Amino acid sequence: MKVHEGPGMTGSFAKLAWINVSKDLRLEWRSRDVFNSMMFFALIVVVVFSFAFEREDSRPVMGGLIWIAFLFSTTMALNQSWARELRNGVLDAYRVSPAPAEALFLGKVIGNFILITLLECLMAPLFVVFYNLSSVGPLWQLVVVTLLGTWALVVNGTFFAAMSIRTRNRELMLPLLLLPISIPAVLSMVTGTTQVLSGDGSPNVQLKFLAGFCVIFTTACFLLFETVLNAE
Amino acid sequence: MKTKLFFAFAAFCCLFLAYGTYQGLVVAPTEETMGDVQRIFYVHVPAATVAFTLFFVNFLASIYYLWKRSPQADALAATTAEVGVVFCSVVLITGPIWARYAWGVWWSPWDMRLNTTLMLWLLYVSYLVMRRSSTGGSTSVLASALAIFAFLDVPIVYMANRWFRTHHPPPMLFTPRIDPRMGHIMSINMLAFLCFSVLICWFRYEMERTAQKINAGHIQRAAGGAVGMMLLPAVFFATPGHVAPISYLWAGYLAAWGIYVGYLLFLMSKLAKLKKEAAEVGAG
Repeated sequence: MKVHEGPGMTGSFAKLAWINVSKDLRLEWRSRDVFNSMMFFALIVVVVFSFAFEREDSRPVMGGLIWIAFLFSTTMALNQSWARELRNGVLDAYRVSPAPAEALFLGKVIGNFILITLLECLMAPLFVVFYNLSSVGPLWQLVVVTLLGTWALVVNGTFFAAMSIRTRNRELMLPLLLLPISIPAVLSMVTGTTQVLSGDGSPNVQLKFLAGFCVIFTTACFLLFETVLNAE
Repeated sequence: MKTKLFFAFAAFCCLFLAYGTYQGLVVAPTEETMGDVQRIFYVHVPAATVAFTLFFVNFLASIYYLWKRSPQADALAATTAEVGVVFCSVVLITGPIWARYAWGVWWSPWDMRLNTTLMLWLLYVSYLVMRRSSTGGSTSVLASALAIFAFLDVPIVYMANRWFRTHHPPPMLFTPRIDPRMGHIMSINMLAFLCFSVLICWFRYEMERTAQKINAGHIQRAAGGAVGMMLLPAVFFATPGHVAPISYLWAGYLAAWGIYVGYLLFLMSKLAKLKKEAAEVGAG
């Protein structure tokens, strides 16, 4: 397909994706409505669970707890990221635009990824404070598990948010679609995180599994995104 | 005509299933350690085979739909997903009944095989929910995309037995470790249940096509399921410590056939409703 020259439409795939990323981040920076509610939600989860568990015995369940907080705040962010595009028919404008749909998708994924990673960085000290947490295993493994896990959640989540925005009960559909699909990833994120935190066993298997999961599902998302965007 | 062929096939299926069940319950040798309860395998394993096969057909039909946009492929995808969920439910209900006897627990939460099968069931239930809640023309495209994603998880489920530590017995068919008669009867049952699933799919597919023709997108869900769900917890809490092993076998068979017959009855009521609607609209 020939790309028409015009303001905002020139440039490579990477440049188009970057335009989307910077637009999303700028919007979020000015309003901060998604980030604030996400942050507050994760904070509430941390505090409520800290009442429920004794400090001494919380280590084996920490992996699950951390990811529950992140998973649900991710769902909040993802719903908003597409709902924002529905106003003023922006989504329809994307569909008639000659820019490749995959660039839009990549931009959205990277924008969401940055947002969630920021949230995780801010939440980490809170977990340390509330649960007196320290990692027995090497810290870099924890970072890799978190990054891969976040990518797996965000890439699938962005795709399924785009899908659920097309259904009748928009926001309700996303968890229904996203959670079953990501169960394998969630299982290995939780196991991997717990293994690093408690230091029993190496998370290498989980890391490989997560990496494979990311590759397979990222490919599938890119192949099918245009179909979903244009479904009518 | 089509109807005659359908009834002939239905009669064949009934005979085949009766033969398979007789073989499984009476002829098959009793297993050494698990005793008669092991005979649940003759409904559990075929149901699993059928569920996996149907999900695979669903995957192929979805790809074909995205490629050619044929309404037949869409109807086939909807059919196989729904019937697949029914068979998968049988797997998930007969499994715990056997496990309660063999392992002493209903469910082992850290067993990958169990979790992944449950996940598969959840995936296809979410697929059905998706089909029901999307609007107008976009349903088929969105559902096809979702089906492809769902099927990407199937290899993980299938390999879970080999990759991860699990209590679930590995597939033993066609290995020299089992009595050849057991393997033989298992194959008979697999074939019988495959025929049975083809029969149900045929029935369901015709309905889906009728539904497409009269454009009745909103299909009612089985209300009886709610009552069943309320009764189910009572069973789990009421289990006494010592139950005769044979009752697990009967429970397994009853549960499996309860689901199959219940689903058939549900389809019948739906068909009656559709026919009425078709007559009103004048299509069909």
